[in-house]
Amino acid sequence: MASDTAVSIPTNMPTTNRPMNLGQSMDDNTSRLDGVAKITGAAKYSSDMILPNSLFARFVRCPFGAASLESVDDADAKKIDGVIEIDIQPKECQYDGQPVGHVAANSPMLVDRAIKALNLKWKKLPVKTQITDTVKEEIAKGDVKDADVTFAAVYSTPVQTHSSLETHGGVVDHHGDKATVYASTQGTSSVRDGIGEPLGLKASDFEVICEYVGGGFGSKLGGPGKELTLAAKLSQKFKRPAYVMCNRADEHLDTGNRPSSMTSVQIGLKKDGSVVGGEILTYGGTGVGKGGGGVSIPSGRYNFQNVNKKHTDVSFNGGGPRPFRAPGHPQAAFAEELMLDEAAALIGMDPFTFKRKLVKDDVYREMMDMGAKLIGWSDRKETGTQKSAMRTGYGIGTGGWGSANPGGNAEVVIHQDGSVESRTGTQDIGTGQRTTMGICTADSIGIPLSFVTVQIGRSTLPPGPGSGGSVTSPTTAPTMMAAAAQAKGKLLDVLAKGSGGDANEFSVKDGVVLRKGEKFLAWKDACAKLTPDGVTGSASTGDGGKGNSQGVQFIKVVVDCETGIVHPKHVIAIQSCGRVICRKTAESQIIGGVIQGISYAMFENKILDRNNGAMVNPNLEWYKILGPNDMPHIEPVLWWHGQTGVKSLGEPPNIPTAAALACAVYNAIGAPIRHLPMTPDKVLKALEGAAS
Amino acid sequence: MPDPNQPPGFSRRSFMKTVGVSATVTTLSGLAEAHALAREQAEGEALQGPGPVKMKFTVNGKASEVSVEPSTTLAEVLRYSLGLTGTKIICDRGACGGCSVIIDGKLLNACMTLAFDVAGAKITTVEGLAQGGKLDPVQESFLRHDALQCGYCTPGFIVATRSFLNDVPKPTLDQIKKALGGNICRCGTYTNIFNATLEASGQAPIMDQKGVS
Repeated sequence: MASDTAVSIPTNMPTTNRPMNLGQSMDDNTSRLDGVAKITGAAKYSSDMILPNSLFARFVRCPFGAASLESVDDADAKKIDGVIEIDIQPKECQYDGQPVGHVAANSPMLVDRAIKALNLKWKKLPVKTQITDTVKEEIAKGDVKDADVTFAAVYSTPVQTHSSLETHGGVVDHHGDKATVYASTQGTSSVRDGIGEPLGLKASDFEVICEYVGGGFGSKLGGPGKELTLAAKLSQKFKRPAYVMCNRADEHLDTGNRPSSMTSVQIGLKKDGSVVGGEILTYGGTGVGKGGGGVSIPSGRYNFQNVNKKHTDVSFNGGGPRPFRAPGHPQAAFAEELMLDEAAALIGMDPFTFKRKLVKDDVYREMMDMGAKLIGWSDRKETGTQKSAMRTGYGIGTGGWGSANPGGNAEVVIHQDGSVESRTGTQDIGTGQRTTMGICTADSIGIPLSFVTVQIGRSTLPPGPGSGGSVTSPTTAPTMMAAAAQAKGKLLDVLAKGSGGDANEFSVKDGVVLRKGEKFLAWKDACAKLTPDGVTGSASTGDGGKGNSQGVQFIKVVVDCETGIVHPKHVIAIQSCGRVICRKTAESQIIGGVIQGISYAMFENKILDRNNGAMVNPNLEWYKILGPNDMPHIEPVLWWHGQTGVKSLGEPPNIPTAAALACAVYNAIGAPIRHLPMTPDKVLKALEGAAS
Repeated sequence: MPDPNQPPGFSRRSFMKTVGVSATVTTLSGLAEAHALAREQAEGEALQGPGPVKMKFTVNGKASEVSVEPSTTLAEVLRYSLGLTGTKIICDRGACGGCSVIIDGKLLNACMTLAFDVAGAKITTVEGLAQGGKLDPVQESFLRHDALQCGYCTPGFIVATRSFLNDVPKPTLDQIKKALGGNICRCGTYTNIFNATLEASGQAPIMDQKGVS
């Protein structure tokens, strides 16, 4: 929070470089409220809670896809001065990174040293490392007898790890009968629900704090996790603060992922561009996880008539999946949109015309028309017609998302000194939740944002939802607005009583209390009429309003056919999300979704060694994430047509991107790349196939 | 300005040189002589470690003395000994730039720098950029353009950008992309980081289209 630092800066900081989005939100100019803390290094994330006299711990993990731990020799490790506890139990492991115990020591460096000094005897076991180790690629069949043309293909996507820059874990400070838990989590409330037992404390005797989170993307939902659970036990046992954070390799191996997928399609088409039916078989590579591998194709956005769908989850020796920014959607959109582009080519139709015809909802058609103009679709050359070394391609992707109802709990306190507190137990994982809560409060009351202090990220606040399913804003924003309106109502009641008028005569605008439209009192003077307790508004629901989350993205790409390198050049990302609260953070969500989508399409791949099941790239140089030098120009377009309800924005913009990019590459080189990521070797191989 | 590759005190380079020579000598005339030569090679300084050893440097204008093992990285010292947690350890092997610090005017990954290698050096971390209650222009532009989301990569990006603009005051967009290529953001804020960097160097941000009728 800004108050954490000596530096104070106005949050009202207009920018003008995205003219299309100006004037379309409740607040165009506010910079995020925790921005100053984050840019000065003052923000203390859970991983920054290095408390005096802490002990540090990490899990000891199986180094192979399947192996049995036969014997443990920890004599050398125990000799290291400062090693506090080594607890390792022989067992059979089913994936690289599966914990077999832990080491605790006086510093993280000592923990590393002790783990290296362990002498563990492993017996390797046979492994399966991918979907096709169990399932043969099979071509879908389905009813296509009325079709003029049939199209069949198999698409696949790799395992993508969340790669949150702050790893999983946290710090527990157990004081005997009380405890403080610093959690890196997407669910402050869910940590509260799961940490009591390992702490050995009642819910009333501990607090979970989560002021800042260094990314989560779905992987930090669902309770305290094994890291915080270990920290709780260690802190209780040794009566010291316990710090347990994954290292980068742990993070890739054992904190969830977007499961791999394989999609086999056959569709039948009429020459006029209608789809008459077909079959879609999907497989989700869930590692050791039980379920969670679903692939959301058909998406329902296109009219496919009679398409059968069958899904199978496939196990192998890899860490299990967790929700990852629109689970099941990017992999499905990739298969669906590329399938449509390939089918369009079969019947000689422009994919824009084809998709525009097939899509069910008119909003997508309007978005497509706008995006086509912005990207310059008219410059697009027919697929397979370019002969130069550098070939330009254009692609379209679509994405849709459901909505959530208002809920959670929120409180707004107006103090006697004029300060206003906005309180809810959610967390800001980078979405801007802290900022949007402040804007909702200020806007509902009619005061400048600078009057408002937002309190989030504590289990002692009114409980809020987890940051998952893109529901945080749709759930909490209406509720916070309702709480603020109630607090304001109470203030106006007090003013009315004190001056012998009717509360309806009073209103608040720009920080001034008005009576019958005329200035009555400055905000501070009005609040001074309150008792020292102030007034509190609280709510657990609000007005959901109208609106939805739909998106269309257009990508222009240049492919270097000599090196096989794909260069995305320009992205138009049109996204509706209901009523926009904070323009800047909303644009950031869209840009971020697009960037993760391009990264997924071009680079990311958790590779398991086929012989022993070990991950060969558990780091950030061989598990490559898109960097600054790989960037296209991205234009986020907030599609706001008089919508009144606050809707989802976190996940939707991540859905269409990989699909649009794959379609653009296909358009450029004349051959589809059906298996992500689109690395240079695959581009060159596809070109070879197209030439022969 | 002292050369960060040749800092006063014990350096990794002189250590390697010492070990190399002593290994050869050991086979010829025994350990004691090798050690004597090693001491001489180290220019009169005693070999230090492996236990904690005192060292000094200046961090954000403040003289600091810490007691660390020679294997400790600067990132570990900053975070665990000095509480300067703005410097993040993210990949811990020089692939992400989250631990970017400026050492004697030069940008380095603190996770790839042994603390001993920078004894006596002047170090600037993200905490040292805002002066007298005023943000560095880079910080202010990052804030204005929302060039951060979760904020975990942000200190590294800000330090890297500051260092880059010190060297290249008016960079082109392509230069910015290449110069910041050693830093990674997972939330995906690059577009806004480019705009912030352009603005901090007195240039106009990249304009989006006005729209289509």
